[in-house]
Amino acid sequence: MATTEPLDPLLRDIAGPTPGQMMRKRILGHQGLLLGAVVLGVLLFVAIFAPLLAPHDPYAQSLMTRMEPPVFLGGDWAHPLGTDHLGRDYLSRLIYGARVSLLIGAVAAFISGVIGTTMGVSAGYFGGRVDMVVTFLINVRLAMPVVLVALAVVAILGGSLQVVIVVLGLLLWDRFAVVMRASTLQVRNREYVAAARAIGASTPRVILSEIMPNIANNLIVVVTLEMAHAILLEAALSFLGLGVQPPTPSWGLMVSEGKNMMLFEPWMVVIPGVVLFVLVLAINLVGDGLRDVTAPENRS
Amino acid sequence: MKTSWQKCGQGLAGVLLAATAATGAAWADKANDTLRVAFTKELENVDSYFNSSREGVVLQRAVWDGLIYRDPATNEYKGNLATSWEWIDDTTLEFKLREGVTFHNGEAFNADDVVYTVNFVAKAENGVKTQRNVNWMESAEKVDDYTVRIHLKEKFPAAIEFLSGPVSMYPDEYYAEVGPSGMGLEPVGTGPYKVVSVVPGQRFVLERNDSYHDSPKGQPSIANVDIRTIPDVNTQMAELFSGTLDLIWQVPADQAGKLAEMDRFTVKNESTMRVGYLTMDAAGRSGDTPFTDLRVRRAVNHAINREELVEALLKGASRVVSTPCFPSQFGCVEEAATTYEYDPKKARALLAEAGYPDGFTTELHAYRNRDYAEAIMSYLNAVGIKTDFKFLQYSALRDLNMKGEVPLAFLTWGSYSINDASAMVSQFFKHGSLDDARDDQVLADLSVADSSTDPDTRVAHYAKAIERITDQAYWAPMFSYNTNYVFTNEVDYAPTPDEVLRFTTMSWQ
Repeated sequence: MATTEPLDPLLRDIAGPTPGQMMRKRILGHQGLLLGAVVLGVLLFVAIFAPLLAPHDPYAQSLMTRMEPPVFLGGDWAHPLGTDHLGRDYLSRLIYGARVSLLIGAVAAFISGVIGTTMGVSAGYFGGRVDMVVTFLINVRLAMPVVLVALAVVAILGGSLQVVIVVLGLLLWDRFAVVMRASTLQVRNREYVAAARAIGASTPRVILSEIMPNIANNLIVVVTLEMAHAILLEAALSFLGLGVQPPTPSWGLMVSEGKNMMLFEPWMVVIPGVVLFVLVLAINLVGDGLRDVTAPENRS
Repeated sequence: MKTSWQKCGQGLAGVLLAATAATGAAWADKANDTLRVAFTKELENVDSYFNSSREGVVLQRAVWDGLIYRDPATNEYKGNLATSWEWIDDTTLEFKLREGVTFHNGEAFNADDVVYTVNFVAKAENGVKTQRNVNWMESAEKVDDYTVRIHLKEKFPAAIEFLSGPVSMYPDEYYAEVGPSGMGLEPVGTGPYKVVSVVPGQRFVLERNDSYHDSPKGQPSIANVDIRTIPDVNTQMAELFSGTLDLIWQVPADQAGKLAEMDRFTVKNESTMRVGYLTMDAAGRSGDTPFTDLRVRRAVNHAINREELVEALLKGASRVVSTPCFPSQFGCVEEAATTYEYDPKKARALLAEAGYPDGFTTELHAYRNRDYAEAIMSYLNAVGIKTDFKFLQYSALRDLNMKGEVPLAFLTWGSYSINDASAMVSQFFKHGSLDDARDDQVLADLSVADSSTDPDTRVAHYAKAIERITDQAYWAPMFSYNTNYVFTNEVDYAPTPDEVLRFTTMSWQ
């Protein structure tokens, strides 16, 4: 195993650190990215292992123990974050709600990512008529107010987890398309692309192995932005009663359900609100950090 | 605790002051004799024959008068626009009208007004919203200027009750000219309050009728009533804290409990005739639904813990109801009803017997009290009935229901505060467009009960209808509502158990 043998000190000075070592150093030196990743990691863990972590069944109603306050407001440890207006354990609903938020964020960002990237890369690579059509479609999409269209569609089709995911996925591709188109335009005339074409590589091969890897850092940033965007929109739709339907635990729905008692029991709104804020912040920190550590201009 | 709330209230007051100044909302109070009230729902039309909401009933009682009035305290019928009445035969009522009454626009009240109003509303094609209120009348006939006869289609003993409730008298010349839409925008009646302005969906301003006749409703005391539509109860409470509202009603139990702890407000709780129930599509109007199976309907009845709902959610003067009518109503025989105790095991067993061992999924529609609907949903989910929840506006749900597209819905009915079982059970079980059961036997009994003049026959047949309806579990009746009235200590008001806000009996402390 030649690669793991310690290098001669002189040789290492000449070779400098490997790209992997440099990347690790940049990641570890980026506090925002680390913080975001840890928080996101914890939330992901919580979402995946929700059935093991939740102290109670999030659907178990107990009308006799309604709206018990959280521990820090004088409640007891049976319900660390209190109970909601139907006596369901708040902590358990928060934990299960993480699943809904992350699932919606990830799947909606994936759907819109596939649509937007396909459109953007084709427009940037082929140019001409393809570019004209895609640009037109992007403009059409940008002219539509997302929340309004989502509200209308959900109102017609009825709210459910699947409908919300699909609607958001089909609405949030514009940023992918714009960014991917611009990034493709930047790299399509680079030497390595020309070289790949010169040796006779097919178009799909040029796009997949020459263009995509070089614009992937931008893609990752947009993915995180749109994921956060989708999570917030789901919360907004659920708050308005048009998103995920009860009794599914969703943070937006929890805010909505707590709203009636907002003047007297503000914690019912504050707790899910804070968790939502933390999740979106963590995703944005990760996206921001990834951009910093992968951007070519920072590689020197 | 109290001081922090007072501070909070002051902070809110500042914000709201700025907000109301910006929107130009009227700033009034006891000093300039204006009572400010909030309505939660928008009215479709102020014309009381063309809306079906509680807010409409409140305005109707303030702006118009009926021939008769039922004293809410003693339940005694007193003459209002009529001074006396008698049954000429089983289907003819003769009234002597009060003389010297004028409408708000100056038109004198006489027999022509009664004849025009009755003939207009009784005609089905004129489209009065709640046909039950008027479709028992055939026509009216003038005997002389102050004597009038109302002819009934068939015997209808609840006539007096309806005439003292939803049937109010309109000015013939004005109504002929403007119709229901004009009446909705510029209402004219004989009532204790005149309508000064109507901004549809937003605001109604009423002014005391200083020349109000000597009515059993009493003379109005407060000069002006300013009603605004504020759909969100938190906003209503914030305005109450900041002093831009004097009275709010229909306040949910949880919030009312908290408001009662504050010294500045009076909270009064009264029961209402409103009954909350689940209706199931037993006739299969919405297609192939499990609810056509009696065992499924009984399972639904067994799945719901009514006592817990009343004790923990509705609170106050609410009670468990197992009849398809409010127990105080004449003919609403509680003993005749089959009661279904809370028994989720039995519910599961019934579902399994009906061929749904793993339950099924159904749409559940609701239009009010989302929290109650969620609690009910939770009970249903617990026995395996999974729900696809649809929360709609009342008018939208009513339309769907009329078209027979609703398999399961959480509905409520307030009977227009009519203290007779016909106002509820006959409204829903006589094969009308809202009848999900379409049971011929029930129809036969209700027809006898509705048209008999003998109280014993009526009670006996209502009892039979109730027995059949509850045995067949067409509905799952659950609870009666209560209403919390919250007002500042400047206001003096004793609410009545019929859910009608009476501005006439309100005064300043």
